[in-house]
Amino acid sequence: MSPEYLLARAKNEELQDKGECGGAVSSIFKYLLDNEIVEGVLTLTRGIDIYDGIPSLIEDSEDIIETCGSLHCAPTMFGDLISKYLKDMKLAVAVKPCDAMAIKELEKRNQLDRDKLYEIGLNCGGTVMPITARKMIDLFYEVDPDDVVKEEIDKGKFIIELKDGTEKAVEIDELEEKGYGRRGSCQRCDLMIPRNADVACGNWGAEPGWTFIEINTEKGKDLVDAARNEGYLDIKTPSEKSLTIREKIENVMIKLAQKFQDKYLEEIYPSSEDWNKYWDRCIKCYACRDVCPVCYCKECALDKEFYVDSEQIPPDPLTFQGVRLSHMSFSCINCGQCQDVCPMEIPLALIYQRMQKKYKDKTGFIAGVNEELPPLYSPEKD
Amino acid sequence: MSDKEPKILGFCCNWCCYGGADTAGTARMQYPPGVRIIRVMCSGRINPDMILKAFKEGADGVFVGGCHIGDCHYDAGNYKWRRRANFMEDLLPEFDIDRERFRFEWISASEGEKFQKTMQEFYDKIKSLGPLERCH
Repeated sequence: MSPEYLLARAKNEELQDKGECGGAVSSIFKYLLDNEIVEGVLTLTRGIDIYDGIPSLIEDSEDIIETCGSLHCAPTMFGDLISKYLKDMKLAVAVKPCDAMAIKELEKRNQLDRDKLYEIGLNCGGTVMPITARKMIDLFYEVDPDDVVKEEIDKGKFIIELKDGTEKAVEIDELEEKGYGRRGSCQRCDLMIPRNADVACGNWGAEPGWTFIEINTEKGKDLVDAARNEGYLDIKTPSEKSLTIREKIENVMIKLAQKFQDKYLEEIYPSSEDWNKYWDRCIKCYACRDVCPVCYCKECALDKEFYVDSEQIPPDPLTFQGVRLSHMSFSCINCGQCQDVCPMEIPLALIYQRMQKKYKDKTGFIAGVNEELPPLYSPEKD
Repeated sequence: MSDKEPKILGFCCNWCCYGGADTAGTARMQYPPGVRIIRVMCSGRINPDMILKAFKEGADGVFVGGCHIGDCHYDAGNYKWRRRANFMEDLLPEFDIDRERFRFEWISASEGEKFQKTMQEFYDKIKSLGPLERCH
C-alpha cells in the first residue's frame, strides 16, 4: 500500500503530557486495551533506573501511563518472547525495527500468528548498552550516572537530564569514536523506520508535542482511524517541510550506517588470526543460540555429538558457530543479542551480519524485511 | 607443495555422479586414490553441516557431485543443493578455508571421463594448496 503520513497526539491530557511526542503511541495502546481489541500490551517499563528497561506485559489500560517515555539503554528483543510465551494472546507490541524483523522471520516460520498482533513500530536510531551508558556518562558528562533522570537521543546527540533539571549533551559521533555510544549492531543498522510494522511512529519531522506516524499496512490504517474516531487521538496532516526533514534525517542515518558497515564489516574486520583467538575463548555456553530470536528449533543440531563433542571446550568453530551460521546467518536480523550475551565477548554479530550481507548481495534476500522465506528454504527449481 | 597425500572426500549422488564413478571404474580410467567417496541418494541430501564436518574431521578438500540441472531423480534436489553450495562458498572463507578446497560439479552416470578428469583436477588443486592447516 502507498505510504500515508500523519501527525498524531493523545487526546488524554495526562498521556499527552507524560508520553513522548504527545503520547500518541500510549494512546493507541490505551484504545486497544479499553476496547478489548487486545488482551495485553507488550512494551518496556522502567525498572530501578533509566538504564533498566524491562519488557512488560500490560493488561490493564490504567497501567499504560507507566510505560510512557523513552528508554534507549534497553537492548531487548520482543520477537521470541511472543513466540515462546505469548503466542496465544491477542497482543499489541511496541517494536523497534529489529523487533519487527524478528517477528517477521518468526511469522514466516509459523512460530507466531501475525493476525493476533498489532505492531506499533518506533523509529530507532539505536540503543546503548546499560553498562556502556553508565561508563560514558561518568567519563564524558562527568556526572554520577545515578543522578540522571532522563535520557534522549536527538539531533545526533545523546542528551541526559539530571535530578536538578539541568541538561547535558554530547555528540554521539564523539562518543562512538572513543568506543562508547550506541551498540555496534545499532551503529551498523540501516533500518531506522520500521516499515515492516503496522505503523511507524517517531519524532523525526514532527512538530513539538506531536508524533509523526507512517502507516504501513491496512491494519495500521484501520487502527489509527478507529483510535481517532473513538476519541483517543488528535490527528493532522504533516506539512511538506515535516516530510522533507524526516526523509533527510533518515537518509543521513542510513548513510552513516553504511559507513559503519564498510568500516566494521570490511576495513577493520577481524583477521582470521583474530577470529581464531576469539573462537578459542568460547566456553560453549550456548547463550548465543538460546538468545537468538530467529533460532526456534526444538531439537538443535548443536546438541548432536557428531557436530559438537560434549567433551571438547572450546568447541571446533567449524561445527559450532559454523553449523549455526549455516543454519541461520542468512536470516540474521542483526539484533546483536548473541554478542550482547556472550560472556567471552566474541564479536559474533560481525560475522553474522557479514554473512547476511553477502547473502543479500547474492540473492536480494533481506532478513526481517522480505515477505518470503530465504531462498535457501525454497523447493523451487531455480 | 606437500608430499603428504591429500585427503579428499567426495559425496556422490546415487543416480548420476556415483554412476559416473562406476563408469570410470569399469572403463578402468585411473583417478587419484586420495579421493574417498560417500554415496548419498541425492545431492539435495547434502547440507552445509556435512561439508563443515568433513573439514573438521581432516579433509583437505570436499567434492560434491550431483545430476545435471534438470536431471535430478527427485526432481529438484540438485537445485536445492546448488543454493546451499553457493552459500557454502561464502561461508568457508570466513573460517579461513580456501573456497577452492570445496568443489561441486554435475556429472551424469555416463560421464565416466568427466568424473575422472574432475577428480584429477581437484586432486591436483588440493595437492598444490597443501594440507589444510587449522588451529583447532
